[in-house]
Amino acid sequence: MTLRAGWLRNLVILLALWELLGRLHLVASGALPAPSVILLKLWADRADYPPHVLATLEASILGFLVGNAIAIAAGVLFVLSPVALRLARGVNIAIFALPPIAISPVLVLTLSGMTPRVVLAALGCYFTTMTATVLGLTQADARSLDVVRAYGGGRWSMMRLVQLRSALPSMLGGLRIAAPNAVLGAILAEFGGGGRFGLGTYLLGSLGRADPPRLWGIGLTATLIAGLAYAAFAILGNHIAGASRAVTIPAAAPSLPGRHSRLASILLALAAIALPLVLWWLLLKGLGVPEMIARTPAGIIDYLFLADSAGSAQSRLLAALAETLPITLAGLLAGLAFAFMLALLVDVAPALGRSLMPVALVTQTMPLVALTPLLVLLLGRGTAVTLWITISVTFFPSFVTIAQGIMMVPRPALEVPRAYGAGKLKELRLVAIPASLPYLFAALRLAVPRALLGVMIAEWLATGKGLGNLLNQSRGYLDYGMIWTVAVVAVLIAVVFHQVVIFTERRVLPRLGMTTVE
Amino acid sequence: MTLALHRRNFLALGAAAAATVATGRSALAATPLTMQAAWINDAEFTGYFVAMDNGYYAAEGLDLTYLPGGPDVIPEASLVAGKADLALTTPDTTVKAIVEQGAKFKIIGTQYQKNPIGIVSLASKPIKTPQDLVGKTLAVPPVNVISVEAMLKLNKIDKAQVNIVPYAYDPTPLIKGEIDASLDFTTNVPYTIKQAGPEATSFLLYDFGFTIFNDTVVVSEDTLKAKRKELVSWLRASRKGWDENFKDPNAYPPKFADTWFKGTGRTVENEVFFNNAQKPLMEAATGIFSMSDEAIDKNIAALSEVGIKATKDMFDTSLLAEV
Repeated sequence: MTLRAGWLRNLVILLALWELLGRLHLVASGALPAPSVILLKLWADRADYPPHVLATLEASILGFLVGNAIAIAAGVLFVLSPVALRLARGVNIAIFALPPIAISPVLVLTLSGMTPRVVLAALGCYFTTMTATVLGLTQADARSLDVVRAYGGGRWSMMRLVQLRSALPSMLGGLRIAAPNAVLGAILAEFGGGGRFGLGTYLLGSLGRADPPRLWGIGLTATLIAGLAYAAFAILGNHIAGASRAVTIPAAAPSLPGRHSRLASILLALAAIALPLVLWWLLLKGLGVPEMIARTPAGIIDYLFLADSAGSAQSRLLAALAETLPITLAGLLAGLAFAFMLALLVDVAPALGRSLMPVALVTQTMPLVALTPLLVLLLGRGTAVTLWITISVTFFPSFVTIAQGIMMVPRPALEVPRAYGAGKLKELRLVAIPASLPYLFAALRLAVPRALLGVMIAEWLATGKGLGNLLNQSRGYLDYGMIWTVAVVAVLIAVVFHQVVIFTERRVLPRLGMTTVE
Repeated sequence: MTLALHRRNFLALGAAAAATVATGRSALAATPLTMQAAWINDAEFTGYFVAMDNGYYAAEGLDLTYLPGGPDVIPEASLVAGKADLALTTPDTTVKAIVEQGAKFKIIGTQYQKNPIGIVSLASKPIKTPQDLVGKTLAVPPVNVISVEAMLKLNKIDKAQVNIVPYAYDPTPLIKGEIDASLDFTTNVPYTIKQAGPEATSFLLYDFGFTIFNDTVVVSEDTLKAKRKELVSWLRASRKGWDENFKDPNAYPPKFADTWFKGTGRTVENEVFFNNAQKPLMEAATGIFSMSDEAIDKNIAALSEVGIKATKDMFDTSLLAEV
């Protein structure tokens, strides 16, 4: 049986099952409509869609162009100047780790019109493309570089003639992942962004219609856009690079070896930490943000520790953190555990893996905001929905990363237990599980920001608890100090979490004779 | 380039000149003014759509930009960010922002004399008074929780006896029986629910002691100083739009089906129902937007129940006097 026929069969079975469940109102008394009902609704609403789709496309495409242009320029700069890369490390990690929903209200307040959507879409593209560019440029063939150098070519000739060309496949791989991220960013900035058109606006407006088929229709449309963007770059990548690459997402900020004295290293690290704060301050001053809205780093310290209302602000923040953090951790660990178990299962039964990959692709491209109201319809508004959203957003990327790790176990390593007569399970225990450890860490780094994003979206839209709700409620009360504080705290938590994982990883893996994977 | 006046241009110029003469006000240099609405384009704002389409603002010399709201738009935030000159707001959040955040706002009028917000439930499991809420699950949007707690307190009900869960303006959980009641616009949501199947019932918070306005017209103190004349013009033109709309509440909503109401995904029948239902909540003896001393006192009293210290000087009735 060919791979394609297998996908098709599974898809047909899935759709038939869905249709049956929907027709019989078996799930949440009709909250899961049959696919045919959703399609009919889409057709009935067809006049509504064009302006919403166009607005989301406009912001996504503009953000995609701006974000990737900056990302590629930054990637080139970082390869040319390792000092610049070390300086930008803080900014890079912050952009990787920040949950977009946390800064969406701040962007909407400080920028106007389509700009917040474009900026959030651009931020979603930056990290993957920048990392892919750096990786691609540094992996250029050394012999080709030597040829250019031997003929008197300078740094720039080497970059232009060899490195940029050889980096193209890697860059296209980055663009492919950036495309759905741009769509997610554009939609997230529509939350609280005002404006009449956009799929996010349509989704929020439709929440009040008691009409599950419409919500599913919007969700699937958003998924389709993100999926098509992904597919377009995948096809382009295959066409140009002539080889398909694995579905991986970079999970660590790139670093290049540099030779600096201890003092220079410390200074560079301090500057890297200071740079995001300096940029933040410069942006506020440059944009001329109204005083009541703008908060500088010092302003947040004042709000949280020195002002008269600091006590109240602290207690509200701590109460929200106490609600958000445990469920983030629980969802993260459960998502990783499921992913790990499924990856092992797939290793034992490879056919299962092939049929699951398309599902993994869909959930990776499905905008999280579109998914959330659908899960709320199915699961209600309790802790369960937060947990499931978190698990579902961390599960598939983790699964893909870990499954690939297990697949890359060298054959000779597997042949040793086999030769000694070990069964499949023993082989897993002795070889595959230990070998997948670096990938488990990579999956964890990748999953941390997604888990926090998932929890905050669920809190904002569904459960009315924790940091997500505090952010939403503070907007209503014009409590700008709290909005900035929550944004900063959410980013700090993600960054600290990320650094803790990296720290642990660097201690644990070398002891086992392994290296980290990007 | 030669100065050739094309015939069509000439005609347009003539028409513009005629219009200027006809209105008696200078339309040559219309003053820009931006308003931030409180919700998506629905019947709640019919009066402004009428005034725009019929040229009432232009006749007052205003070049009005209309910004729609939505579930996630905080109208006051548009004032603070300088995106709008005036906003339609919920008075409890506006006053809270003045008191707690030091926002420099003034309330210069009110669209609703009686807040249309109320408790909506299914007719098959009706909740007709605050007492009926005891032991029930009530969904409330996060920023409105204080209003509900005030209403419960006014009716001597311990808030611990009602299970308050967050509400995202989605009647599905109510229809599915997951919750018993929700806090929403009574002018609108009962009809939306009916269109989805079941009959709904509702009561106003206003009728049980929480006597506040809604869609209060709010400006910053700076705008009030700089654009006083334009604000009076806006009140006058808007009032004219509402008066025209209420001559026959069934007339205008169908006309806006393909313009203002396009893309909201709601039926025109729903907007017609809404427009009829809001009429008694908006009308005032002294005209739309009026704020009588008695009504202002009622607002202050109701808000003090929630611990929000409103004062009389937050309401400025002097512009209405000039209309």
